[in-house]
Amino acid sequence: MVQNAKPAGTDESQLPTTPPLDEESPFATMMTAFDEAAGQLGINPDNYEILRRPDREIRYSVPVRLDSGRMTVFDGYRVQHNQGLGPFCGPLTLSSSVNLDTLRALAAWMTWKCALMGIPFGGAAGGIAIDIQQNSRAELERAVRRYAAGILDSIGPEIDVLTPDAQTSEEHVMAWIMDTVSIHNRHAENAVVTGKPALLSGTRGSIDAVAQGMRTILRLATAANDMGNDRPRVIVQGSGRVGGHFARLAHESGFHVVGISDVQTALYNEKGLSIPDILSWRQAHGSLAKCPANAEKISNAELVTRDCDVLAPCAVANAVHSRNAQDVRAKLIVEGAHGPVSVRADRILSERGVKVVPDILANAGGVVSNYFEWVQNRQGLTWLDELVAKRRKRFMTEAWNAVSDLSEREGVRLRMAAHMLAVKRVADADSLRGVYA
Amino acid sequence: MSTGTALAHGSAQSDEFNPFLAMAERFNTAADLLGLEPGVRDVLREPDRELTVSIPVVMDDGRIRLFKGYRVQHNFLRGPAKGGIRFAPDVHLDEVRALAAWMTWKCSVVNVPFGGGKGGVICDPRSMSRGELERLTRRYTTAIMDILGPDRDVPAPDMNTNEQTMAWIMDTYSMHVRRSTTAIVTGKPLTLGGSRGRSEATGRGVMISCREALKTLGIRPESARVVVQGSGNVGGIGATLMHREGYKIVSISDISGAIHNEKGLDMPAVRAWLADNRTLEGYPDAERIDAAEQLELECEVLAPCATENQITSQNVDRIKARLIVEGANGPTTAVADKKLEERGILVVPDILANAGGVTVSYFEWVQDRMGYFWTEEIVNSRLEQSMVASFYDVDRYRRKYECSMRIASYLLAVERVANVYKMRGILS
Repeated sequence: MVQNAKPAGTDESQLPTTPPLDEESPFATMMTAFDEAAGQLGINPDNYEILRRPDREIRYSVPVRLDSGRMTVFDGYRVQHNQGLGPFCGPLTLSSSVNLDTLRALAAWMTWKCALMGIPFGGAAGGIAIDIQQNSRAELERAVRRYAAGILDSIGPEIDVLTPDAQTSEEHVMAWIMDTVSIHNRHAENAVVTGKPALLSGTRGSIDAVAQGMRTILRLATAANDMGNDRPRVIVQGSGRVGGHFARLAHESGFHVVGISDVQTALYNEKGLSIPDILSWRQAHGSLAKCPANAEKISNAELVTRDCDVLAPCAVANAVHSRNAQDVRAKLIVEGAHGPVSVRADRILSERGVKVVPDILANAGGVVSNYFEWVQNRQGLTWLDELVAKRRKRFMTEAWNAVSDLSEREGVRLRMAAHMLAVKRVADADSLRGVYA
Repeated sequence: MSTGTALAHGSAQSDEFNPFLAMAERFNTAADLLGLEPGVRDVLREPDRELTVSIPVVMDDGRIRLFKGYRVQHNFLRGPAKGGIRFAPDVHLDEVRALAAWMTWKCSVVNVPFGGGKGGVICDPRSMSRGELERLTRRYTTAIMDILGPDRDVPAPDMNTNEQTMAWIMDTYSMHVRRSTTAIVTGKPLTLGGSRGRSEATGRGVMISCREALKTLGIRPESARVVVQGSGNVGGIGATLMHREGYKIVSISDISGAIHNEKGLDMPAVRAWLADNRTLEGYPDAERIDAAEQLELECEVLAPCATENQITSQNVDRIKARLIVEGANGPTTAVADKKLEERGILVVPDILANAGGVTVSYFEWVQDRMGYFWTEEIVNSRLEQSMVASFYDVDRYRRKYECSMRIASYLLAVERVANVYKMRGILS
């Protein structure tokens, strides 16, 4: 089935939450990586059969009274892929383009990501097929609350934990769900969702969690590839919640940020950019278009192929594809977005010896932050900033070490090593638990 | 005398060799010293609840076999019941009862917030396939499920049960209640909510108790010759850790017999030999001696870490150690106990010395409840703190009541439970 990768909106705040890749459905793409990892591991056929399908798929109707007084029915979904390692956990997407195939891929992907990061969760993904531009906030709230009430029996702190994606984090979606579940259960059930506002037992450090995790990876990966000593030059595609924070952190850590972009404009200066000025300009003006920075103004497409040591695509899927992969000049790519390197581009880069730290590892700071929030909610204790930072660094470092060791030992690329580790952990947990009957 | 915890079935063993009678006797001594009133004494001695279940299992040949299983919950005053599940042909309700009570006292001595429980299934695991064992475990779990729960009763591995058994119990329970409930059992594999440092916890606890006891005796580690009986999870790991602390391990044993080297064994080499050969037999840098002889060696510390009833009225007069650290459960009989006390030999009793295991089980339960897992260093340092504090708690009672460490442990344990009982009162 050909499902076209929908070019991911206009800004990374509307990142696609799935990796829509070249010429394949997302589920098929995910299965390709999984199949390759499973084959490489020589996984037993019983485990294989269990892992390749979701445990459970729920589709149900979400009737909502519109502001006009009319009633409309939205489709609600939740796909729960595997719970070998613990409760399901995964994002809730509000988008009219939500469909089961995409959610299946994303749910499985969450399973691998949590397993890779050593987090005791399985993977899930859900959504409501609702257009957040077209519907009012009150309609949105009624839809979300009805959605939560409809799957009440299938979610919970030890059953399935919902996390925000780019859109749902902007609104108070997680707070609405927490409230709905708490009222039904007659006690505060804050661990059922993560990514909550700080006031409602959210975690510290969630704003730039992905970027913080990427910085840890950037340091480890440049050091491992002998680039650590002479201020590596970094191009960042994107300047929002992932790219913007990452550019700032890289700059603060002594990296030479030579390129940055937003939807319309890319800035490049091989001698380095004044990142704090550029980011505050963007903050003030909402765009980089007229930014007076001392830099060449080029297109996003061109930025990807400019000279640098590290490329961090933090905006859209398929930023590096089969037609530009040959021209990428970075020696190292750190995937901040989901699926920014297409499957074919991945092969080309691999042949050219360009190292790619895969999204499943590089942008996992977000899922680690979600996990920390869940732990803090269960403890009833809020961790201070330093503790969150220290523990996040430990999780990122341990995962990086495991992936890079396996990659060297088995002679496979980092993406494959990450998938192999993840699949093995889930398969081992499944074998230990056995099949309940 | 009815002890309520004694083995009542016809046993050929004399009373001296019945560890449950021995425990009951020590409980009574402690209760006397504490001046517990008879009603409270009855409450603390009798199990709260005993459950007997029938467990039908479809065997591999298609036939149905019915097994019998038990779960005894001795006491909930300090928290949920905690205790192992054993699979063995000679499981008996009296024994399960006694072991459940034992767990109450052990948890109380090291101050973990659990009561005592124990379970067992009468079966011969050696003659069963993996599939049969899995079906047995799952059906047994289902049968006792109504009285289990992270806040009710938390099983653990015991004789012939292991990480795999715990994983099956966790899975069965979780599927029934429709949520991932790792805190339902401890002793799970690391990937399913187990704790780092658990497999060596008992051995580490033995090392810590030994170290603190030597301090009270004024013996320096480098001049301590240690004899260790057993080389598994408790003895082997305990000996390795003591070796690392600078003690001289002069002898260690396994079921094949014992090895001895007056100059001290190279423990890492012994462990490596054991890993390769699965027996101490043939280990080059030591002389072989027989098992009985080992216990009577000239030494400062004797650590019986294998099985019960090793130091008895038969050999107690020939024991030359100054300190005995009980890694195993019930290695010293009550008769031998009195003789050792007369001779001024210090005994760190089982319920204190080998409580490192239950302490880290408790840590596992805590970690499962928060869903966050500690590094091995944190587990070890908390175990260290807990064991040291418990050792000196017991030592204080020993001085106050001028009794043995063993009686002091029971005094402390029973008093803690009795105090909770008085505070909570009776729900009527």
